[in-house]
Amino acid sequence: MRDMRKSGTISPVAFLATVALTFAAVQTRAAELDEVRARGMLVWAADQEGGGPHVFPDADAPGQLTGFEVELAGMIAAELGVKARFQQGQWDRLPLLLGRSVDCVINGIELLPERKRDYRCSRPYYAYALQLVARRDGPIDDLEKLGAPGPGGRWRVGALTGSAAEALLRSRHDLEVDVIGYDGTIDSLEQVQSGVIDAALMDDCIFNFYADRFAELRAAGRPFGGGYYTVLTAHDTPRLAVAIDEAIGRIVADGRLKTLYDRWDLAGRQQVLALRDAAEIPAADRRSFARLAAEAMPMLLASAGMTVLLACLAFPLAVVVGLGIALGRLHGPPALQPLLAAYVEVVRGTPLMLQLYAIFFLLPKVGLALPALVAAIAGLALNYSAYESEIYRAGLKAVPTGQLEAALALGMTKWQALRHVIVPQAVRLVMPPVTNDFIAMFKDTSVCSAITVIELTKRYSVLALSTGRIVELAVVTALLYLAMSWPLSILSRRFESRQERAA
Amino acid sequence: MIAVTGLTKARGGVTALADVDLEVRPGEVTAIVGPSGSGKSTLLRCVNGLETFDAGSVCIAGHQLAPGPQPPRLLERVRRDAGMVFQQFNLFANLSAVDNVALAPRVVAGMATEEARRRAIGLLDRVGLASFAAARPGTLSGGQQQRVAIARALAMEPKVILFDEPTSALDPAMSEEVLEVIVDLARGGQTMVVVTHDHALARRTATQVVELIAGRITRLGPPAAVLAG
Ligand SMILES: Nc1ncnc2c1ncn2[C@@H]1O[C@H](COP(=O)(O)OP(=O)(O)OP(=O)(O)O)[C@@H](O)[C@H]1O
Ligand SMILES: [Mg+2]
Repeated sequence: MRDMRKSGTISPVAFLATVALTFAAVQTRAAELDEVRARGMLVWAADQEGGGPHVFPDADAPGQLTGFEVELAGMIAAELGVKARFQQGQWDRLPLLLGRSVDCVINGIELLPERKRDYRCSRPYYAYALQLVARRDGPIDDLEKLGAPGPGGRWRVGALTGSAAEALLRSRHDLEVDVIGYDGTIDSLEQVQSGVIDAALMDDCIFNFYADRFAELRAAGRPFGGGYYTVLTAHDTPRLAVAIDEAIGRIVADGRLKTLYDRWDLAGRQQVLALRDAAEIPAADRRSFARLAAEAMPMLLASAGMTVLLACLAFPLAVVVGLGIALGRLHGPPALQPLLAAYVEVVRGTPLMLQLYAIFFLLPKVGLALPALVAAIAGLALNYSAYESEIYRAGLKAVPTGQLEAALALGMTKWQALRHVIVPQAVRLVMPPVTNDFIAMFKDTSVCSAITVIELTKRYSVLALSTGRIVELAVVTALLYLAMSWPLSILSRRFESRQERAA
Repeated sequence: MIAVTGLTKARGGVTALADVDLEVRPGEVTAIVGPSGSGKSTLLRCVNGLETFDAGSVCIAGHQLAPGPQPPRLLERVRRDAGMVFQQFNLFANLSAVDNVALAPRVVAGMATEEARRRAIGLLDRVGLASFAAARPGTLSGGQQQRVAIARALAMEPKVILFDEPTSALDPAMSEEVLEVIVDLARGGQTMVVVTHDHALARRTATQVVELIAGRITRLGPPAAVLAG
């Protein structure tokens, strides 16, 4: 009857195991220069999703990648006397791939003190500036406009999660801005265009590249701030790091980089001059865990609150809709029954992630722009309603037919009989599996990070990556999940034992 | 009160009822006896519209049932006038004894909660269960459950009560408790149709006895005559 994808509780052990597997990279030793040479291949990681002009699928040759970093990776590999091989990854998690079959990350990674602390960074290979992008017909024409609240209160501004643009927005407390983190820059541009958010901040070269595709958007003000891109390697491959750094030096010195950038319309001469004068950036200090925990805890707690909020709003909705569907399928008009069955099949047959995407990114295209939180709750409720309807259908069928006949024999209508006799019994019957699904939903809320809702898992991931305290924060996060699921598990067991006593 | 004429029903090729004629006058108690599978339950369930039939007609408390599916409104009116008591009691498992009795007056007859409750307690008292008002069905004995079920049927003040083997699931002592309630109702002039294997029950309550075999009425008359052989 139940879908096996959901297990009963959020096990902190499982969470830690997942984290350990995901981040094992950091602990295992990465391939050094001699190993890279021996295998004849330099594996570099990047995110091709909405990745122009850095790394993106070639429109003319499907299945092929193109972009200035694809060519740069090829040049660096050639300097090392090996071939380049691409590895796809989610942008904000690319550094974690180092040592896990990935030798270096080349993907618009900004040279920042924190990065220097946690990884080895090459000399800069590109100088970027930040560009604010807004709707052509909108009021935002400059960053300073964001200093005062807009007509709808605080401005909603998107940025790539984990990027310097996001960090800058979050640090500018003088701006009346709610920062919304996206997994891809294109996603944020889409949402500015459809009016879900007011503006997006990104590296200038990205908007220059996509400007034609988003004709309704404009550069709001001149590019500002910015910094440099660097090639990341793991701490424990110093010789590979030096080799890559020197390779970049040669590529810049002999003019190949200028030619490359000119070909990509990236102002080669300006770039080379900016790179020549780049100032040294110091590595950040490693903070004590006590201080970090003190700083991170409020954020983690707030995100845990978001997880609770999502589940506690979405689940009751899912239950009500699910029960309605189950009643409709068993007792509703015959014409409605195949439609409801189709709904259940479609919703169960498609991933939650896709449903959230459809609600958040596609509905605005037909004029229905839901805020991220509403979209997340709607998506979770929609998805779970299909599963709950199957549970309730089984529960309704499990109530003996004599109960319905006895109610009808007293002159009740079918709906009166269902409401007063059948449904109350079915609801009690399915309490354990439904509680179980409620616990499962706490875990599934993490998918909502794909549509910019930051819940506990996402917050953990962002914090862990920006501080390098991957394991310690994982323990804290696991404990928070346990604190959420524990009371529910107790509740679920209580329902079960009460039912056993009643039986 | 009830007039069944030419009632015929086939079930999966088998004839469950064949051309059954039956009349039940107000204040009468009719016992239906016959071997297992002879169509007794089917006849009872056709009378209050829990099952459809193929031919003939049923007139009950002034309502006319025709062959085939009947409109829900009509069925609801028929059933308000014809209470039913089942072999397996079928008490609402989610409700206490008093709520079992009070539910239909409340939701079907629109009676105020307090009034429905008072009436329910009175009826539980009448079947000797006033002290079990708050009990859940699962905690009651079979005989007690069946008496609550009778009180539940009485709560709608039906013109006729249909009993389908009310004592078959009970041991002799519990059967006796239930039997006494039915005898008491008969004395009070309640019109009833009682399907039963229990000849003692038929003798003590019935004014007429109908014997059904293979869906046909084979004998009909006063208890002494039909039950003698
Ligand atoms: N749900 C059903 N589906 C198909 N046939 C049925 C069903 N219920 C009863 N029958 C058949 O209809 C006929 C009459 O059954 P019915 O239940 O009315 O008999 P009964 O006299 O009440 O028997 P019992 O004394 O065992 O209760 C039998 O042949 C039986 O097999
Ligand atoms: Mg029967």
